[in-house]
Amino acid sequence: MSQTRQVFQTLCRMCDDHCAINVYMEEGRVVDIDGYAEHPWNRGRLCSKGRAAVDLVYHPDRLWKPLKRTPSGWQEIPLEQALDEIAGKLASIRDAHGARSIGVWKGEAVGFAQQEDLARRFAHAIGSPNYFSNDSMCFNGRWIGYSTVHGAWSVPDYENTRLVLMWGANPPHAHPNMTQMIMRARRRGGKLIVLDPRLSAVARQADLHAPIRPGTDGALAWGLIRALLERGAYDRELVANHSVGFPQMQAYAERFTPEYVEGETGVPASLVGEIAAALAKAAPAVVNYVGNGLEHHENGINNIRAVAYLDTLLGALDRKGGNRLAEGFLTNRLTLYQERPLTELEPIGAERFPVLYGMRQECHTMTALEAILSGRPYPLKAMVLTAANPAMTNPNSEKVRRAFGALELFVVRDLFLTETAQLAHYVLPAASFLERSELHAHAMFQVVTLTRKLLSFPGVQDEYQFWHDLAHRLGAGAYFPWKNEEELTRWLLEPSGLTLEQLAAHPEGYPYRPVRYEKWREKPLRTPSGKVEFTSQYLKDLGYPELAEYKPPSYLSSPDPEYPFVLVTGARKLLFYHSRFQNIERFARAGRNPEMEMHPADAARLALSDGDRVRVSSRVGTIELPVTVTAPNEIPPRTVQITHGYRQANVNLLTPDDVFDPISGFPLMKALPVKVERLGTEVTPRSTMP
Amino acid sequence: MRIVTMDPDSCVACRNCEYACAFKQAQTFERRDSNIRVNFYPEERVCIPGTCVHCEEPWCLEVCPAAAIRRSPDTGAVEIDPERCAGCKMCLLACPFGAIRFDARARVARKCDLCGGDPRCVKFCISGALQYVETEEAFGFRRASFDAHLMQMFGKGDQP
Repeated sequence: MSQTRQVFQTLCRMCDDHCAINVYMEEGRVVDIDGYAEHPWNRGRLCSKGRAAVDLVYHPDRLWKPLKRTPSGWQEIPLEQALDEIAGKLASIRDAHGARSIGVWKGEAVGFAQQEDLARRFAHAIGSPNYFSNDSMCFNGRWIGYSTVHGAWSVPDYENTRLVLMWGANPPHAHPNMTQMIMRARRRGGKLIVLDPRLSAVARQADLHAPIRPGTDGALAWGLIRALLERGAYDRELVANHSVGFPQMQAYAERFTPEYVEGETGVPASLVGEIAAALAKAAPAVVNYVGNGLEHHENGINNIRAVAYLDTLLGALDRKGGNRLAEGFLTNRLTLYQERPLTELEPIGAERFPVLYGMRQECHTMTALEAILSGRPYPLKAMVLTAANPAMTNPNSEKVRRAFGALELFVVRDLFLTETAQLAHYVLPAASFLERSELHAHAMFQVVTLTRKLLSFPGVQDEYQFWHDLAHRLGAGAYFPWKNEEELTRWLLEPSGLTLEQLAAHPEGYPYRPVRYEKWREKPLRTPSGKVEFTSQYLKDLGYPELAEYKPPSYLSSPDPEYPFVLVTGARKLLFYHSRFQNIERFARAGRNPEMEMHPADAARLALSDGDRVRVSSRVGTIELPVTVTAPNEIPPRTVQITHGYRQANVNLLTPDDVFDPISGFPLMKALPVKVERLGTEVTPRSTMP
Repeated sequence: MRIVTMDPDSCVACRNCEYACAFKQAQTFERRDSNIRVNFYPEERVCIPGTCVHCEEPWCLEVCPAAAIRRSPDTGAVEIDPERCAGCKMCLLACPFGAIRFDARARVARKCDLCGGDPRCVKFCISGALQYVETEEAFGFRRASFDAHLMQMFGKGDQP
């Protein structure tokens, strides 16, 4: 080992888990990364993506200079010139079409914390209400589902639980670090029940795995509600003193007999009773956890709401071992929704999806792309997008490309020339997470950690500097008064009474508030009524059902014989974060990438062998890729799965951008009618990543 | 002496251990370069990680005609010296756990050397199925699980 080797602690940002890491450096260069043992979040363990930050930072394809599109191709230009030109064009578009014709779009390739609020701040600072992000199809659905019931999206108290009930979530691949928490719970005698059409990685260790039909989770949740009520196994104190709408819920639950539930979900009636009995036995220490799998459905939000009802019935709401209501870390607020709400400027999607905007101030990306193409309800002419890749991750990719292509000005900041960046007029190099410092709170443990800036490269700006420089050029500098990121963080910290120096001295996380339970005893929940809302007046007033009514997915209620398979998209792969990291060669070579998972009986019927190529078509588009024939229990018959993010076979060429959950506006991406055809016998090598 | 213990009741066959080992051994993510292997049997829903347990009387070491296998005085790991290995594969035959692999490119046998006392497979095991523990405490998690079971049986405490 070199004598000059030094080690620093920070948080990983290769996915949203934010595991604590040791970063080993030699002569100013990162040479290795592993898990940092002292942080309560990951206790020294780390997944392979974390180590790959070394590859990412020094990747030969990384962007180091601004690029400008010219008729003869990309031209490298100096940063100051790029910012001047971009600001000039934004100003003339603002003059011609109004500030709201400029959109800001946040992605996740460079961060997840202050980055979001900086983008929101910039949009409002220059006078546009149009902030977009990947969150109009991820995260917000669960946030809305839980918050309309409890006033918050709770965090799982794995470390004290007796039973984990997982709905459409696969932590080993999606939130790797939760895996050790779940397995610790199992070692203490806790049980694990996994509800997922696929035998996901976490389902491999489940005490019970129920392969539920995609999009039918609401029916099962109602079946469990009915079974618990029938047994009288519910928390009477919580229901009587801290909820509204119990009688309506009780009445609606009646129809969800085990037999009806079996007919909808494919989960045997006897199993419904078995799961309800396990829940009743473990209550209140039940983690009732919903993953992204439930969001991308036509009835997604109400399915999630029905699942959330269980927390209250089981008494798991904010109880030890249940779903805890985390207390956030209080900072100064970066967004300008109080100072400059700009709602009179009609944020894109706010009228169509008032809950998404009303609860999350999130404009709707699918509507934005429509608006770019149609000019309605008003022209959207410019987009400044930071580290998102909607050309791969938004539904109907072909239309996404057309829409971005129709912009007068499209600016993309990223580490790489992504599929989205290739459509831009200007591409600016962005800083990786090792090149900036920000605050991150782990709500599960209520600790806050300051990430550490370990590297800097000339001409590569951090998020703050970019928005700062652009705002100052557009006459909105007053909103970005801080000299740099460090000054900004000092200001953010003011209400906490903590200093940067204090936080820097605690790489293991600073406990900002002790973890407490049953806070609903002391203060009202953050719902309109202050109570658990089985019925929501807020939703009712907007024209939605007040209860979390169940509606069968349309592939079941009105099947189309032309498209006999149901396609689930977006099952996570360990080594990729959405469309990211496919450019790390050893990741791409670690398995069959891309692939379509298929049941052996379906493969036999289509005369398909493992590795054969297939053509998959929906009413939106067609792609071709190899098939992976799974074991019979890994995916149900008539169901196929394709993970998103592969440039060789982009599954979002198949997904529609006109079928939405009516409450959240989330697109249908996980229960899509498709057809599958055999393409000959060219064989791709056997998958090594089961 | 510490060893890597493996718990098939926690492993989810995510293969992070294989990736971490292959990367340490050969800078790849290829399973053939890994000294730890996870076998996954989907229909039985069984995940079994397997690597060397550094036997007190290692048959691989005894059978090696080239005296290429020795115990490290620092870590206690049973290690193969690739410089001395003749590629005869008798150690693969001798190991009752199948924990030795043959590197067909370098034409030598390979096995776990505990990464010199800081095994990467354990650091990159996200489920906790792998632990690097003193042999005296090895598989202590089984006792802890049993204790939890007993406590539940007798209704002690509100914790499982």
